[in-house]
Amino acid sequence: MSLLAPLLFVPAGAALGCSLVRSRRMMAALGVLAFGLTLAGGVALLRRVAAGGAVTEWAGFLRADALSAWMVVLISVVSLATSVYAGRYFQRDLAAGAVTPGQMKEFFILTPLFGCGMFLVVLANSLGVMWAAVEATALSSVLLVALYNRRTSLEGAWKYVILGSLGLALALLGTVFIYAAACQDSSRPLPSFNWSHLLTVAPQLNPRLVRLAFVFALLGYGTKAGLAPMHTWLPDAHSEAPSPTSAMLSGVSLKIALYALLRFHILTAACLGPAFSCHLLLGFGLLSMFLAAPFILVQENLKRMLAYSSLEHVGLICVGIGLGTPLTIFGALLHMGYHALTKPVLFFAAGNLHQSCHTLEMRLIGPGMVKLLPVTVLCLGLAAVAATGLPPFGLFYSELTVISGGVVAGQMTVSVLVLGALIACFCGMLRQFTRILPGEPKPRSDGDGRRMDGVPAMGLLLGGLLVFSVWLPQPVLDVLHQAAGIIGGEP
Amino acid sequence: MHPAPTSEIPAQLIALFAALMLVAQLLLAVQRMLLTSIRLFAIQSLFLAGIAAVVAYSHNAFHVYVVVALTLIGKVAFLPWLLDRQVRRMKIIQEIEPLVNFPTSMLICGGLTLLGYLVARPFTSLERLGNNTLAVAITLVLTGFFLMINRRKAITQVLALLTVENGVMLAAVALTTYGMPLVVELGIFFDVLVAVMILGILVYRIRETFASMDTSKLSQLKG
Repeated sequence: MSLLAPLLFVPAGAALGCSLVRSRRMMAALGVLAFGLTLAGGVALLRRVAAGGAVTEWAGFLRADALSAWMVVLISVVSLATSVYAGRYFQRDLAAGAVTPGQMKEFFILTPLFGCGMFLVVLANSLGVMWAAVEATALSSVLLVALYNRRTSLEGAWKYVILGSLGLALALLGTVFIYAAACQDSSRPLPSFNWSHLLTVAPQLNPRLVRLAFVFALLGYGTKAGLAPMHTWLPDAHSEAPSPTSAMLSGVSLKIALYALLRFHILTAACLGPAFSCHLLLGFGLLSMFLAAPFILVQENLKRMLAYSSLEHVGLICVGIGLGTPLTIFGALLHMGYHALTKPVLFFAAGNLHQSCHTLEMRLIGPGMVKLLPVTVLCLGLAAVAATGLPPFGLFYSELTVISGGVVAGQMTVSVLVLGALIACFCGMLRQFTRILPGEPKPRSDGDGRRMDGVPAMGLLLGGLLVFSVWLPQPVLDVLHQAAGIIGGEP
Repeated sequence: MHPAPTSEIPAQLIALFAALMLVAQLLLAVQRMLLTSIRLFAIQSLFLAGIAAVVAYSHNAFHVYVVVALTLIGKVAFLPWLLDRQVRRMKIIQEIEPLVNFPTSMLICGGLTLLGYLVARPFTSLERLGNNTLAVAITLVLTGFFLMINRRKAITQVLALLTVENGVMLAAVALTTYGMPLVVELGIFFDVLVAVMILGILVYRIRETFASMDTSKLSQLKG
């Protein structure tokens, strides 16, 4: 049975369906249904890949290996949680007059398209199609960032579109150079621009052009992945987007750009040896982690702080891959998964706080939110504990895997630096959350204590996080090992 | 089917067109009038289409004609028309003073051109056609970045972005005889789409909300 094509058609169909129906409930239900189906498809794909290796369809146009299958599951989980949360979120926004019905419809049409674009990024075999799909996700998410049409959300969207387009122009240049590197020794057109084909001929590619291609891809896709110092759009876009969109941007979109970069990394490592690209990834990863820490500490806006925390996590993933041993790569991939389960909860809870307090400024929100919104704060607290990397949550294990993998590989300095950055970020998050959560609430007119908003979505993710922190099914482990092998350059 | 070895005339034509693209870019860097800037961009795109046409003709590569057609329709005709209409509607004629004044801009662009030639030197042997096309392509990317930093109007920033993308397209044509199947076409398609989207939605909304197109007023989000 065909597995890959439905992953593209189902969300596209949901977008079409949302453009036809009028009721908010129907649109929300369509989104949930679509991403529920893709999650089922993703799990089926994961099992098939774990058992039998890469799957191709449409004469090799679509291809899913272990890395793609893992990303498909992550996209589905985050999009599903977002769709579950978005229905009630926009009901409240509509009631408060923050959005018009037209803007809400725009959200429900664009979100499945955004998801569809991300599926195409991870399933496309041709590097050219992959680039185009990344561009498509950027375009659909820009409109989502600008949804509220406020002064600041326009500013955030403007920075996002300008920096994103510049980055993607560089990524296209990188793609051009890879193409040139592949076809320079023949006077005929390249037989195929498929990644799987390029990997088989990687040792014969022109090394100087491959080097240049990787640098441009790193700058280009790195911008989209929010790596420092190209991250400046990230806090603006994340804080100004509606909370469901922030969750998708932070939960998966950053990792999708990282995925595109990884495809270049694998090719470069196969052509030049792993040192060149690994060192670059390591450097950018460490820089991102260290840059995130002070900004978390001094941040006044809740969602901006969460965005900087994403920067830290993306940095850690890059470090894990840059260290280049099977153990650290495994840890990095695991970290992607746990982060995808954690970060949306934080953004959903931030969305609830935003709607109750009408601000994201932490000095205006806090203290004493635990008395006003006990359920939201419980979820927020649990997710915050997870995001700072404390046991028993999975992020603790994945961070530990990266750090100990670094020690085993003899990269003591890197491990110590990573540990330092993690501790700094931990302190920052702890300080910020103690400002708003405990204590006596300010007297205010709104925000009654009975609200259970967003509990299904947050409960789904937190439940998954708890279960998968202590138990990973065998197919997932197999796929992660396979994916780590692909990135590490094993045949 | 093997292509005939490139004869002299197409190679010279391509070198000429590439040089003219560079000239258009340098003029753009010191141009204050918005309408003239838009025309300069259209002319630059026209030369890009010319290069693609020469490549297509001399190699009998039919799908490169698609690139020519897309460039002509999208970047030479449609986008300039749209930008032109936007500028006239907003009654903005001149760019406000750029961050770096024009003589210094010219000097910086000259330096960036040198840098472009320096970066491209190791790869000249890989170029199929013409000389220095890759150098011009890299220069267009670099000066496009500079323009983007230097200018403050939304329209000029969009133009700068488009010239960066012209540079990328030129690199694609210069380095790969047959252009890149699909990728170049998709690239042009998305360029046009991005620009239309920025203009159609953001510039419009920014103007509504800020009553100007000055992006330096977009400075509330910090830290």
